[in-house]
Amino acid sequence: MATVTLNNVIKRFGVFEVVHGANIDVKHGEFVVFVGPSGCGKSTLLRMIAGLEDISGGEIAIGGKVVNDVEPADRGIAMVFQSYALYPHMSVEQNLSFGLRMTGNPKADTDRRVERAAEILRISELMDRRPKKLSGGQRQRVAIGRAIVREPQVFLFDEPLSNLDAELRVQMRVEISRLHKELGATMIYVTHDQTEAMTLADRIVVMRAGHIEQIGRPLDLYDNPDNQFVAGFVGSPKMNFINGRIVGRDARGVVVELAGQEKTRITQPLTGAAPETGNKVIVGVRPEHFGNAGEGDADLVVAIDVVEHLGGTSFLYARTANGDDVVIQRDAAKVPDTSEITVSIRKSYLFDEKGLRLR
Amino acid sequence: MRNRNATAYRFLTPYLLIFAIFWVWPIISSFMISFQATRTVPWRFAPGFNWGRLIGDPAFFNALKNTLLILVIQVPVMISLALVMAVLLNSPLLKARGLYRFAFFAPVVVGEVAYSAVFRLMFNLDFGIINKLLNSVGLPKIDWFSNVTPAMALIMIAVTWRWAGYNAIILLAGMQSIPEDVYEAATLDRVSKFKQFFYITLPLLKPVIVFCLVLSIIGTMQLFTEPFLITERGGPGGGTETLGLLLYRQGFRSLNFGYASAVAYTMAGLAIAITLAQLWLTREPK
Repeated sequence: MATVTLNNVIKRFGVFEVVHGANIDVKHGEFVVFVGPSGCGKSTLLRMIAGLEDISGGEIAIGGKVVNDVEPADRGIAMVFQSYALYPHMSVEQNLSFGLRMTGNPKADTDRRVERAAEILRISELMDRRPKKLSGGQRQRVAIGRAIVREPQVFLFDEPLSNLDAELRVQMRVEISRLHKELGATMIYVTHDQTEAMTLADRIVVMRAGHIEQIGRPLDLYDNPDNQFVAGFVGSPKMNFINGRIVGRDARGVVVELAGQEKTRITQPLTGAAPETGNKVIVGVRPEHFGNAGEGDADLVVAIDVVEHLGGTSFLYARTANGDDVVIQRDAAKVPDTSEITVSIRKSYLFDEKGLRLR
Repeated sequence: MRNRNATAYRFLTPYLLIFAIFWVWPIISSFMISFQATRTVPWRFAPGFNWGRLIGDPAFFNALKNTLLILVIQVPVMISLALVMAVLLNSPLLKARGLYRFAFFAPVVVGEVAYSAVFRLMFNLDFGIINKLLNSVGLPKIDWFSNVTPAMALIMIAVTWRWAGYNAIILLAGMQSIPEDVYEAATLDRVSKFKQFFYITLPLLKPVIVFCLVLSIIGTMQLFTEPFLITERGGPGGGTETLGLLLYRQGFRSLNFGYASAVAYTMAGLAIAITLAQLWLTREPK
């Protein structure tokens, strides 16, 4: 098992730079998830670690050894592809053993590794089948099995669950988590699904447009996002953003007035350089941080559009007087029957116009 | 549902009529003609006349031998060549790929008469470029048109030149449909490019290769243009006469349509038999 270090890693396709100097330190045995929207460079970064893409700048080290010019097969990694990339003309057993057979690994050792992988993934009874005779979940297990037989230092997963249906995805997520515990291997996992990232990761790397926006433990990112992008990306339903304006200062901090709601003022205890009065700001409130009127820092009147009942909790899709969309989480029993309600903001985040966190 | 079908069939009627008159009827009619003695007027029903002659006709067996010889040598060589061409065309290192793709495909669109004339010139004994090239490297001239073996070789070269690119384009399409990540997985598995070709590309390309083989077998069984135009009606002395040429000679030169029909049915039967054997040999294991 090994560490993975990315030092100012850059990727260019022609003149177009898609990864702008990534710095990441993955510890031995850690499960790190790269998350971000499509085209943010997360898969490219993973493929650079695998050696399937050249590195345009910077250094990648695996187990302390710089691997920039090392062949993919010599990097001590194994990769699980989004499309599984199984060999369609081979049985499951042949798929698992192909790499080892081709490189002349002793047969007894190959058999032992294949058997072990099949046991871990519970696919022993599928060994004679071809990929087309397998379900999506079974194919994914075989793909993971093929990675396991290589006994790599680092496992790389490129959106491995994207092609599965919702129920299987949850099931496989748990399996991958179990696998990580069982193998104790370093794992790097790419996904665009923040729920996968939150549930699997020891640490999450949030990426946008080739930049790393923030690296941290799932709950740290949730509780302390560095900027509006991370705040909006982590958490489901996402954080609400309500436009506001600085209207003054008092002893406790800056006073923010929400757009279109002159009576709703929130005081944010800002220390250090604070934006000037009159500046536009964005107030972020998570759906569960809305309370009943009078319970929080400030009250807000919203018009309800749609209510979604999920059983224990319900989500109220509403609009502020200024037209900002907000989602409010409530206990199912406490959903009002009116078209307009007053809610209080119990906890909020403050971002400047560019989306940087002020508080 | 029944009504809707009736309307559909009414729309199809013009086509079906043409199909019946110009396809189905000739097929049935030629089968019946093959059982008639057509060298007498009027034709008379004589079931054993043509088919019996077929069994003992040295001209038929000569044509059959020539056709099968071309089939056995030319088709595998052409498909192997097409495979090599497809691999080269598929290489990411290749520049101006579109140009090469067009160049390889071009022989198919060149007129048969024009290409045959050019081949006759190129292989001419005295002033053909091929013999000049052979001479320039110290090899003797070859009289391509007067000796059977060089004439057969010439037919095979011509057919290969004409169809290898066509097959290469089909194989290339097959290669490009193999997902890139399968090769990436193999690369991570430390499988060399060479082994990737034999253990991944070839097996995954098998259905396309079989398709090309079947097309080529059918095409070669009907081979006519090259022996007719390049080696002058199957020359020298019937040395390159194929079944297609024998059929033509019997039907349209001797006006012996009964025997020509029997030859035609034999060609079709052989093509089907060889193709079925081919499909059976290369079938997917269950």
